[in-house]
Amino acid sequence: MVNVINVCRRMKIRRVAGYTLLVIFGLFFLLPLLYMIASSLNPDEVSLLRNMSTPRAFIPSPVGIQNYIKVFNRMPFGRFMFNSVFIVSTTVLAGLLVNSMAAYSLARFSWRGRGTLVSFIVALMIIPFEAIAVPLLLLTNRFGWLNSYHVQIVPFIANPFYIYLFYQFFLKLPYALEEAALIDGAGWFGIYWRVALPLSKPVLSSVAILHFLTHWGSFLWPLMVTRGPEYRPLTVAMQVFFGGQYPRVWGEIMAFATMMTVPVLVLFAVLQGRFVASVARTGIK
Amino acid sequence: MRSLRIVVVACLLVMTLAVPALAKTELVLWYHSGKPEERAVLEYQVKTFNAMQDQVVIKAVEIPEGGYNEQVQAAALAGGLPDILDLDGPFIANYAWSGYLRPLDKYITPQLKKDLLPSIIAQGEYKGKIYALGTFDSGLAMWANKRYLKDVGARIPVSVDDAWTFTEFMEILRKLKAHPKVKYPLDFKINYGRGEWFSYGFLPIFQGFGADMIDRKTMLSAEGVLNGPEALAAAAWFQSLFAQGYADPNPPGDTEFIDGRAALSWVGHWVWQPYKQALGEDLILIPMPKFFRQATGMGSWAWAITSNCKYPDAAWQFLEFILRPEEIVRMTDANGAVPSRVSAARLSKAYQPGGPLNIFVQQLQKIAIPRPVTPAYPALTSYFAEAIDNIISGADVRKELDQAVKRINEEIKYMGLK
Amino acid sequence: MMRRRELVTQVSLFLPAFILLLVFMVTPFLMAIVLSFTNQRLIPGPVPTRFVGWQNYVMMLRDSQFWAGLKNNFVFVLVVVPLQSAFALALALLVNAKLRFTKFFRTLYFMPTVTTMVVVSVIWSFLYHPDGLVNRLLSSVSFGHWEAVDFLRNRSWAFPAIMFMSIWQGVGFQMLIFLAGLQEIPEFLYEAADVDGASPIRKFWHITLPGLRNTITFVLVSTTILAFRLFDQVMVMTAGGPQDATYTVMLHIYNTAFRRLNIGYASAMTIAFFLIVLAVSVAQRFVLWEEKEG
Repeated sequence: MVNVINVCRRMKIRRVAGYTLLVIFGLFFLLPLLYMIASSLNPDEVSLLRNMSTPRAFIPSPVGIQNYIKVFNRMPFGRFMFNSVFIVSTTVLAGLLVNSMAAYSLARFSWRGRGTLVSFIVALMIIPFEAIAVPLLLLTNRFGWLNSYHVQIVPFIANPFYIYLFYQFFLKLPYALEEAALIDGAGWFGIYWRVALPLSKPVLSSVAILHFLTHWGSFLWPLMVTRGPEYRPLTVAMQVFFGGQYPRVWGEIMAFATMMTVPVLVLFAVLQGRFVASVARTGIK
Repeated sequence: MRSLRIVVVACLLVMTLAVPALAKTELVLWYHSGKPEERAVLEYQVKTFNAMQDQVVIKAVEIPEGGYNEQVQAAALAGGLPDILDLDGPFIANYAWSGYLRPLDKYITPQLKKDLLPSIIAQGEYKGKIYALGTFDSGLAMWANKRYLKDVGARIPVSVDDAWTFTEFMEILRKLKAHPKVKYPLDFKINYGRGEWFSYGFLPIFQGFGADMIDRKTMLSAEGVLNGPEALAAAAWFQSLFAQGYADPNPPGDTEFIDGRAALSWVGHWVWQPYKQALGEDLILIPMPKFFRQATGMGSWAWAITSNCKYPDAAWQFLEFILRPEEIVRMTDANGAVPSRVSAARLSKAYQPGGPLNIFVQQLQKIAIPRPVTPAYPALTSYFAEAIDNIISGADVRKELDQAVKRINEEIKYMGLK
Repeated sequence: MMRRRELVTQVSLFLPAFILLLVFMVTPFLMAIVLSFTNQRLIPGPVPTRFVGWQNYVMMLRDSQFWAGLKNNFVFVLVVVPLQSAFALALALLVNAKLRFTKFFRTLYFMPTVTTMVVVSVIWSFLYHPDGLVNRLLSSVSFGHWEAVDFLRNRSWAFPAIMFMSIWQGVGFQMLIFLAGLQEIPEFLYEAADVDGASPIRKFWHITLPGLRNTITFVLVSTTILAFRLFDQVMVMTAGGPQDATYTVMLHIYNTAFRRLNIGYASAMTIAFFLIVLAVSVAQRFVLWEEKEG
């Protein structure tokens, strides 16, 4: 009897401790972001700086959306948002197709030189983009591609890391269904498209999310290849209006940052359950 | 004989064809996205220019200031430079050296040359030729909160010659520090961050002590100039201001002076509008103090015609237009900069003799020193700013300056200038 | 015998990616190798570009900033990779516990990862200010014994501050990967252990960790590669200062190429750094694979 009570108590303590930790870590991750949102809602720079270290920083006073209005007045924010979304989504979609096709070919068939190519892909994973930025600029300029959407899309479609993730996934994918389709006389492309791809939803969504996150934040490259607001993404726009010698107005920066961040946060909050499930079934581990 | 006639006819034909083609010469212009007011004036000027004549059409493209140099460099490398562009003063020499700019000398009349501020000529000149002209120059001095100066009984200088002496300046700083409302007497705008501001804003201190970034005679070595006893003294003095609480090494935002936490603000002309709005009648402009000598910064964005441009005469038409005194004043009224022509300064309420900002004009005429005009400037400024940044954080002064000198000299050698 | 047409389809599936990689990754990389032996400048000047042999590589040996950056890169990897991975595992265990609302908290923990690094850096520069929230918090936790530190301008604090922030930003992602790994460990193993009356710590050492071996390998290897690329944070927050305390090789390469316009030397450093990171990853893989077999 006493023993049962003890166990119950211990369980209870453990649960309380668990919730406490959950909440503490929750605040740890959330507060800086709340801080960003709260500061963006304070139109008075002086009061914002005065309260920066007090709990009042989280309750903007005065409160207003003037910072947001100023951002919109200073720049075609909608255009930049569209550019970012368009560039990133095109890159990710094309990337899913191209990378998964390549991985499928590597994982399923045994044509000559395939093994070498797999090691080649793995070696490419280590080249950081910054390392090839300048030669790539020279090259794309030869193509006459500067200041366009495609110069921000095409070079980033194929990616050795994502090919590798797909490759690992396909290696483990049971072969039976594809074999059945093959016996039915389907061509390899048809099998890839109609059988293998639908089975790869988990790896597709993890790669899509990874690709999205890295491309969404890219800055150096679009800075070098864009010339005007037509093709400029959000990251560069942020630097245009807040960088340089022009002094930083924190309220406006935070408003911009909030608008750049919140849509993505909401999207991921909605999708994240699926993401965990997909990672669980992907080769990532 | 016949063939000659054909050639002549062909030439005439080409010329008659070329005239209408020239009538619609389209020129691409790049400009850095400065303040909104500055942008608005330039857009207006482009529109006016395009409307007032029918030979040249200017197409203006705005480029982010944060990455302006990177973008211009990328374009230069890619052979995609526009016809006209504006460049930050100290970088002009590098582009001229690389052969990307056309000399403007044949267009500049003696009258125009005489009317331009000496500082404008100095920054645009490389190896005896002028490659760029600005419609405005910058001014660097101290803005002061008159109320605090009165509280501590500081003398208010009325002209450049009347500036505070070193001992006077230190005495005033000490008194201001004791003022109950003042947190840090001197605001150095460290919040602008490591970058061109550090060279622009703080090199004059070194020059005031008799040091410099590089040996001006040869432009080939910094040895003994940036790490000599004068430089060490300047750096030590500068560092002590932060160490002893006279200046904030990390101001949280841009509001130190507006807020009343700082009494003096060591910064350029560009803060005039916001400062005036915040302080009103209490805002006054104080000339650079007399250290061992008096020095100030200068240089600003200036217009250049690239070697890419096929119609330099047409491009000059536009430059000539924005260099007219009334257009210069239109710009400087908007951005608060110093008009680049004496005749324009006379038209400007703020800069004419007796105007609140006339001290800037006096400084540019008497004590301004351009940042070193050398193709190695991008490297020079990057190492200098780095040393300054470290000195502010309390690094060993001698070590930092020695290191900067070593790196600067290596760069000059690597570039083949020596 | 494989039919010819089949082979064509099979290879053609691979071709688009192969061509793209060849054009946009391999070619620029080869160009970088060539450039590393020249004195190419970003804006070519009157001094013609020519081959300079190993000069750039020799210069690297004497370049104190390159070595300062490299040292910091290694410190970052050695500190951040284990700490971040351990923290991620702890978080994963926490949100995998049989508690309510874990899905909600999981989302919270993942949020910083979704936020662009440039934005994160801007927010934290604000938090790290001497008058900022972090100092305030430390002061109240220590009952006023904490003396305000200017984190980003302090030679000993700047790099730890950036490492801390990087962990804050990146840990959510590894947490998810660990979580996925945890969910793959068969439940019956834990049930069997319960019957034996095993303690939670024993279960962790004998079931959880071995079950996560592959996940751990993946997390360590990928985090290491990413950690070597450290750039955005230091660029925005400290520009490598104070006194190179937060300087990194990537930042040095960037400054050399775009501030000092020296493409030849920047390329040489790129190639050298690539080889170093390659060596580290190969060594790491070797060690981790060894373990797996043993």
